[in-house]
Amino acid sequence: MFSRIKARFNDMSTIKTLCEAAEAYALQDQQREPGAEHFLLAALDLPDGTARLTFERIRVDPEALEPAIARQYGNALAAIGLDVGAAASAGHAPLAARPVPFNASASGQEIMQQLAAERKAHGPLLGAHVVATIASMQHGVAARALRAMGVDAGMLKAAAEEIAKGS
Amino acid sequence: MVDLNALHLPDDPDEALAAVVALRRLADTLERRAVRSALGQGWSWARIAQALGVSKQAAHKRLSDIAEKSAQEIS
Repeated sequence: MFSRIKARFNDMSTIKTLCEAAEAYALQDQQREPGAEHFLLAALDLPDGTARLTFERIRVDPEALEPAIARQYGNALAAIGLDVGAAASAGHAPLAARPVPFNASASGQEIMQQLAAERKAHGPLLGAHVVATIASMQHGVAARALRAMGVDAGMLKAAAEEIAKGS
Repeated sequence: MVDLNALHLPDDPDEALAAVVALRRLADTLERRAVRSALGQGWSWARIAQALGVSKQAAHKRLSDIAEKSAQEIS
């Protein structure tokens, strides 16, 4: 009984850390509501280290994720014939945080709902669980950034699940 | 009105929809930059809202942090 309460408390603490970091990445990225890409970056910062380990397991440098995300916007505009240079990417001053309740974008909400739905199926919430959830998404900035990095989403998901099971 | 035929719309929906996301993001960035400039030139929120075609409340709610940030930088 006590261990279950403790596990739940730890999960809440992890979710709080994850959401705060995702929001910080979103503000840095000039967006108010964190999306899947911001949750993925936030997962890499979680102290359990399993998200980072997942990328390393499939021989992908996790540090390459943030620049890959930043490039997605310019690449998407170039695909329709618009060349706006660096204006489409990051590099602007971050937005200021507002004293309003946390709110994620649609893709961010999808991740939180998925993590909540699968909570009982695994032990403590880990960064690898977040990676596995995001690796399942076929569309959006996170999925496109991973593809641009040459990441096989199926392999990433499998590695994340294996690492999460072993932790 | 922009001639959409001048833009190449990719056949792949994923590519086409990603371009829409990127355009929205670009518009947001341009809006913030333009509002910052307008505030710097002494424009009121009423004028900015009218120029943006939104209510003063809507403009202030979405963009007021630009004014706060500008004020912090000045002081």
